[in-house]
Amino acid sequence: MEKPKAIVDEIKCLACGGCISICPKDALSMCAGKAYVTSNKCISCAICIKICPIGAIYEEGH
Amino acid sequence: MEYDVVVVGSGPAGSTTARFAAETGAKVLIVERRAEVGVPVLCGEGVSQKIDKWNILEGKRWIANKVDGARIFSPNKTIVKISADMAGNETGYVLYRDIFDQELARSAVKAGAKLMLKTEAIDLLKEKEKIVGVKVKQFDDTFEIKADIIVGADGVESKVGKWAGVNTTLKPYDLESCAQYTLTNIDCNNNYCDFYLGNKIAPGGYVWIFPKSKDEANVGIGVLGSLSEKGMALKLLDKFIANHPELKKGQPVRFIAGAAPVAEPIETVKDNLILVGDAARHVDPITGGGLTTSLEGGKIAGITIGNAVVKQKFDKETLSAYETGWKKAFGKKLHRNYVVKEIMLDFDDKTLNMLADSVKEYNFQEFSTLSLVKALLFKHPTLMKKLVPLIKLV
Repeated sequence: MEKPKAIVDEIKCLACGGCISICPKDALSMCAGKAYVTSNKCISCAICIKICPIGAIYEEGH
Repeated sequence: MEYDVVVVGSGPAGSTTARFAAETGAKVLIVERRAEVGVPVLCGEGVSQKIDKWNILEGKRWIANKVDGARIFSPNKTIVKISADMAGNETGYVLYRDIFDQELARSAVKAGAKLMLKTEAIDLLKEKEKIVGVKVKQFDDTFEIKADIIVGADGVESKVGKWAGVNTTLKPYDLESCAQYTLTNIDCNNNYCDFYLGNKIAPGGYVWIFPKSKDEANVGIGVLGSLSEKGMALKLLDKFIANHPELKKGQPVRFIAGAAPVAEPIETVKDNLILVGDAARHVDPITGGGLTTSLEGGKIAGITIGNAVVKQKFDKETLSAYETGWKKAFGKKLHRNYVVKEIMLDFDDKTLNMLADSVKEYNFQEFSTLSLVKALLFKHPTLMKKLVPLIKLV
């Protein structure tokens, strides 16, 4: 089974941009004032999930 | 639409670059994604008093408070007090960052720069591999803006650099994951900027308390990305406040999340494109503070760009004066502090306590490396081994 991809909870996200700056695949960008994961670029490394200061990014399906 | 220079981002680095470029007569446009310059504030709002000397900011409206110095609390709460004179390099003023940014933008506009809000750069404009402008989105419209020089002042998450082929991606150990409350109804009569260290308090970072007035303070945390787990910064900040007798009485009037690069600076000139501020990783790797370097670097960038426009030369060679300039101004300091950051990451709580105990009675008004080393050796000789790499740097 494929590893789950990252998804941003856009209600929680405070748009600090940290996740965008560390994504090794440039899969994250700011979209309408919130971080957004382009799913087909995401390699499920979960770095963004770990560094989000407020826990606004989670694994798909959780 | 055509300009000499397009600056992406109206933060301190972008506005300062725009201002000094415009002052030499360049036709400058700043594009800003947000609907208001400086809002939302994403900052601890502490800055060195040395910005006074540069005469970049007018008036005093941007100052919330002037502090008496800094206090560093080791894990066992040993206090190292640093007077305003010494601490002035890193602390001094607590700002209203929104007003601060708007003041810098106002100076840029006064110098002749144009400013477009709700205008997001979405890509670079290229002709035969050469950068000739930016593509922007403004409400429902997408249009092109031609320019001889592009400035990426788009912060920690910079995309402008990436579009030009500069590797701006940060490693998790080069990013501080931050959260901050502005707490009101607390007693801040002890007018110091406080820093709390400890691997349980803030792994690879620190908790700060910066008083904005007698009863209000920014209380924030930075956790090193490589040591962070999901939501850790906020959880540890909440825990810190709940355990603090004074802070737990307060109520938040603002809550923000943040991200500060604590990396080595990167390539800042790529053909006719320049990176400034957080986008250039011009941030002190120890403190995570980037305001002074953004202003200093922005001024150098603006003057370099102005000269390039006067000469009508937009090649890398002409613009490299910027890279040479910032390296001379603060490049060494950033590199040195990056090395210090790496050394300090290996300090456990016991080492931090010993360090604080060694220097707690040290008079930091008469700071000299030799007397500091003597103080350390006298109290805790075993520290010496851990400090050897540091001493080599001095």
